[in-house]
Amino acid sequence: MPPRTNSTTEVNLVVDRVAHKITLTRDLAGSREQVFEAWTRPEQVAVWWDPSGAPLAECQIDLRPGGGFRFVNQGPSGAHPFSGVYREIAPPIRLVFDALGSLGTVLLEDVGGRTQLTVTIACTSAEHLDQFLQMGVADGTAQTLDNLVAFIASKRG
Amino acid sequence: MNSDLTPRLDKAFAALADPTRRAILSRLAIGEATVSELMAPFALTQPTISKHLKVLEEAGFIERGRDAQRRPRKLVTPALHDVADWIEPFRRQWETRLNNLDRHLASLNKETD
Repeated sequence: MPPRTNSTTEVNLVVDRVAHKITLTRDLAGSREQVFEAWTRPEQVAVWWDPSGAPLAECQIDLRPGGGFRFVNQGPSGAHPFSGVYREIAPPIRLVFDALGSLGTVLLEDVGGRTQLTVTIACTSAEHLDQFLQMGVADGTAQTLDNLVAFIASKRG
Repeated sequence: MNSDLTPRLDKAFAALADPTRRAILSRLAIGEATVSELMAPFALTQPTISKHLKVLEEAGFIERGRDAQRRPRKLVTPALHDVADWIEPFRRQWETRLNNLDRHLASLNKETD
């Protein structure tokens, strides 16, 4: 699927079904160090993870290879926490984790003081990828969306 | 989950993977065109173009118009919307999330300024 590009301040999404990989990129208003901390400090993840804008009800992070994480949204969507295990922690450049059968990678590049964020979600097959993307398409309930994202990249618990 | 989805998407993405076929779709987005009109900008032979058109037809992206003589091809927009709809909620979710992150970072930098 060709990327949909709007402006540089919006997310750019590429879905590669042959490699069964999803790639998201976005330019962010902060240094790599700041972005890395925003992804790895529970008090910060809790602020921005839930797309609804509400703070997470629960956010646990054991930041070491083999350490687990768990993000729980408030309200009914919190019934499906997003959890996984960290594989690689290389501040302020790379964060790799397993979650729900997919491998998520967060890559940070310095662009003149701002940061180019790349999130890659590697699924095990094209069907795996379809299922996971379709969960968000089936209907608009927060619960379905939770399953979707949980599966994917990072989390929305 | 809809078990028909994966084969359908396989077909759609295989059809979209080829740059000539994407160019044909872009051309048809402007309006219907006959095979010879489609051939002109691509420097391809008629059998080659026909092969590409067949792939696009089987993926459900194009169909033949009513005019039996000219047999113009035209875009079937619902099929393209299917592919877009498949991804859009996911994209929107991440867009919102990363907008939240950007706002969060901006607020941190405001405090330290």
